[in-house]
Amino acid sequence: MSRRSFQVPTFTATATADTTNLADGTYLGLTAGGATNRCEVTEIYMGGQSTSSNVNIMSFARHSQISGTKTALAAPNSDGPMDGLTQAVTTPSLGFVATTVTIPQRSATTSNARLALTYNSFGGIVRWMAMKGEGWFITGVTASVSESSLSGFTGGGGGVMGAHILYEQV
Amino acid sequence: MTSLKRKEGYLLIDHRNSPGVPADIARKTGLDPQLMAEGRFLESATITCAHCLGVVVKNPMRIRERGYCAKCDKYLCDHCDAKRNEPNYKHASGEAISDAILETAVKGNLGSPFNLLNKPKIFVP
Repeated sequence: MSRRSFQVPTFTATATADTTNLADGTYLGLTAGGATNRCEVTEIYMGGQSTSSNVNIMSFARHSQISGTKTALAAPNSDGPMDGLTQAVTTPSLGFVATTVTIPQRSATTSNARLALTYNSFGGIVRWMAMKGEGWFITGVTASVSESSLSGFTGGGGGVMGAHILYEQV
Repeated sequence: MTSLKRKEGYLLIDHRNSPGVPADIARKTGLDPQLMAEGRFLESATITCAHCLGVVVKNPMRIRERGYCAKCDKYLCDHCDAKRNEPNYKHASGEAISDAILETAVKGNLGSPFNLLNKPKIFVP
């Protein structure tokens, strides 16, 4: 068990339709890391950085197309344990912003859970927190029930923003 | 019995220093346009559905009863509550489904665990 923070200090959330490839660098993706792994998202924070009014229709949703090889994060993005003494985990849950081979796609299934976190990235702030055990679970690597991402949905502008996701490897 | 309030999450959307979100877009995302406008500040409780593990923003003005599962002792979203009231419903909590997925993965069979949970019905004439 280890609580981790995955953060991207600045990126442009491009409006992308469901079941469409999410372009690299426009989303915060989170995967369980393996078929027998599980993690729980307990906090999502977004802070707008746009220099003019820009509605970001942000959505935290599961993927109907699980991404392929995850590209390692590059600075200033990061994903690390919140306790420096945390023991390293084999094939841990991990955050990513780019992939190769297969590109992630948000699920369009209406019976799938999704967080609608719309806000104006010109000065707006969004923060969602869950009680431990009541968060957003990512289990294994099955399509539409596991890998999830925070990304911009169709209809919003491409606003600049920063975000972090706090999660716990279960 | 523990209070269900203890299991609630928290959502904050702060547009106090922002032009806010137009009413049509706020409605499209299921949020009150008045609370998403310029200079407004939204704080709300959220609940996690015990069966689909989806997160729902709690409507404090709701009068009809919320979905509740006595077996899980947790709230349900309206979708799962409707399913719970269907005939021949078999209880499957989100935790049970997650366990089934992980167990299936450990055993090396990566077939759909939902198919295992919802076995096909065989009708004998």
